[in-house]
Amino acid sequence: MAKEVIMPKFGFTQEDSQIVEWLVKEGDTVEAGDPLLEVTTDKVNMEVEAPASGILAGIRAVAGDTVPVTQIIAYILAPGEALPAYDAPPSAVSAPATTANAEETAPASPAGVGTTSVAARFAAAMGVDTSQVPGTGPGGRVTKQDIEDFLARQPQPSGKVRATPAARRIARETGLDLADVKGSGPRGRVQAHEAAAAATAMTAFPTAAPIATPIIESSAAASSRGELVRVPFTNMRRTIARTLQRSMQEAPHITFQADIDMTNLQALVARANELRPSDMETVTLTAALTRAVAWCLGRHPTINSHIGDDEMIIWPVANIGIAVALEDGLLVPVVKDAGAKGIGQLSDEIRDLSRRARQGKLRPDELADGTFSISNLGMMGIDRFTAIINPPQVAILAVGRTTRMYLPDDQDQPVVRPICTMTLSVDHRAIDGATAARFMADLRRVVQAPELMVL
Amino acid sequence: MRELTYAEALREALRQKMVADERIFLIGEDIGVYGGAFAVTAGLFKEFGAERVIDTPISEAAIAGACIGAALTGMLPVGEIQFMDFVTLSMEQLVLQAAKIRFMFGGKATVPMVLRMPGGSGTGAAAQHSESLENWFVHVPGLKVVMPSSPYDAKGLLISAIEDENPVIFVEHKLLYRTKGHVPEEMYRVPLSQANVVREGRDLTVVATSIMVSRALEAAERLAQEGIELEIIDPRTLNPLDEKPIVESVIKTGKALVVHEAVKTGGFGGELVSRIVESEAFDYLDAPVRRLAGLDIPIPYNRNLEYHAVPQIENIVEEARKLHQGAY
Repeated sequence: MAKEVIMPKFGFTQEDSQIVEWLVKEGDTVEAGDPLLEVTTDKVNMEVEAPASGILAGIRAVAGDTVPVTQIIAYILAPGEALPAYDAPPSAVSAPATTANAEETAPASPAGVGTTSVAARFAAAMGVDTSQVPGTGPGGRVTKQDIEDFLARQPQPSGKVRATPAARRIARETGLDLADVKGSGPRGRVQAHEAAAAATAMTAFPTAAPIATPIIESSAAASSRGELVRVPFTNMRRTIARTLQRSMQEAPHITFQADIDMTNLQALVARANELRPSDMETVTLTAALTRAVAWCLGRHPTINSHIGDDEMIIWPVANIGIAVALEDGLLVPVVKDAGAKGIGQLSDEIRDLSRRARQGKLRPDELADGTFSISNLGMMGIDRFTAIINPPQVAILAVGRTTRMYLPDDQDQPVVRPICTMTLSVDHRAIDGATAARFMADLRRVVQAPELMVL
Repeated sequence: MRELTYAEALREALRQKMVADERIFLIGEDIGVYGGAFAVTAGLFKEFGAERVIDTPISEAAIAGACIGAALTGMLPVGEIQFMDFVTLSMEQLVLQAAKIRFMFGGKATVPMVLRMPGGSGTGAAAQHSESLENWFVHVPGLKVVMPSSPYDAKGLLISAIEDENPVIFVEHKLLYRTKGHVPEEMYRVPLSQANVVREGRDLTVVATSIMVSRALEAAERLAQEGIELEIIDPRTLNPLDEKPIVESVIKTGKALVVHEAVKTGGFGGELVSRIVESEAFDYLDAPVRRLAGLDIPIPYNRNLEYHAVPQIENIVEEARKLHQGAY
């Protein structure tokens, strides 16, 4: 029996995925579980595994193609077996079928093509999908009037959200607010895959406050020439916006700053790099700081927790998220059980996660289950800043740059010390000021005396 | 592989049971010398004689009544109504007598009878010879209602129906009589009240009865070329209904389409949709549950109009595609 290879739905549910590259050629023999191809969603790249052992055949989509999830993209055949009779090259079957189908089922105009430019701008401003609007202009083009009529026909918001039972179940199970989810079903109905995507994004993404905003920059630049540029939110941007807004509105943030002397931690890292074997990569200060934070979390378990509905959920291990800035957005890959790892291993993991975050190659599980986050903007020259907590976590540490400062020594003589300002934001619903202060005091102790970690 | 037509499979079931059990006899209009309007009983008169293959006057009330009386005295009658349309004349006997006796006598009497009848349109037989009235009987507790969709099921279900101690309304389909399929020679049974997952698929559950099962299968093959995979479930017995596989399937796919030939209003589809919506599958529904059924009209005599009065393959393809794409 020919086994179908379909475009899978990953934990992040998407309408479709784009094929990055085939890792196996047509006619090659594969084992069940072998990676066949790499695909990309709007968030991460993932490999699609062979569903069975056999010979790869009948590839229907090539690198660069965007394919709806669950669509067949190839087959795994037994030796000597032919492709299923109904299968044919995509050019012969899929394309005409799709076209015919579009004509049959979509009386409305395709976006862009049959829309006047005024209507297109108006539609974008009003958040209307022009493909849903029947056109009455010449050749069935959608006019501004059509969009106004369309908007007039939309029911007034009643405070009720249109959503399928499946979407409501997912919202109930994940604590998602369906009012925040944009539905693509009839009359804006939220469907299961949209709720699932929003729920996954809600737990996987969010993080620290300062976000590079090309939207504002381009708007400002453009306005000097008299025209505004509108950049629609990407899914990632929408998720960041939603999550951080909710965190800011729901979690009463209190912040605690400490200027910490980095001399000894820097010395530890320098010594580690002197001693490291030649086949080991450089040990980083970020890794050492992560290890120090994990040590503190071990001593203050309430900070290493999630806030639930009328409860705190304290985690037995410290899974520390490291915020990584991307071109447009950010990701927070998670180092699992950081307290159980040496700074060499932490250096390697953080380096690897950051690199793959920028390449869009993180797996969903590498973004999940964080219990605490660190956001470091020191390398960008920021002295100190505060970060928004990444829910359901209850705390985040914002790390500024390390500067050389004159401080009085024991004899009140000025000495130069590398000083870093760290700012802890905690959710006051779960954590009180004294707890946060003790955490920061311990962080200062362990950074200034890292040998404490081996006690 | 041994192939028989649907009509031959039914005949084989009757013959094998009649050979094995002398209590079984057949009764109906023109089923003896003539062999039946659709030749289901052809040759049985010659083999078993006039006492066990009984031709009756044109009285459906008499056929049903004779079956009930014989069953009460320990016989196992299998009656035939020439066209399902005329079972309307048997309704008092079936609804008030056959369905009630076991209850009203506290289980001391049973009515182990089968009443076979062909339903459905597609033969140009017009409004009085094309009815699909199965849901009339579904509404009556005490009657079992069976609708085989393939030669294999036809034989296995008829044997089970004959062996059941309750009155069974056995609804065949005129257009299926000549369709062929694998039928084992031995006497096998397809249990009553056991739905059949005819085709597995991940995208959309189609619950279809009788001839709509094969139409749905053909539709599924077409949609598979577009990457849409239908899961098709044939309840086989409409009452008592085996709803578990249907509910499980809808939980898997999140979308359901019910397809039957009988008119939509008051049809069995309403029952199926209700079962789905009432069940734990509710929380998994990702679109309205839809019905594709016969138009609410008498079957027209004009062949074109007749064709468009009931679901055809292309209608199932279009409806399933739209439901899958989120058009509803």
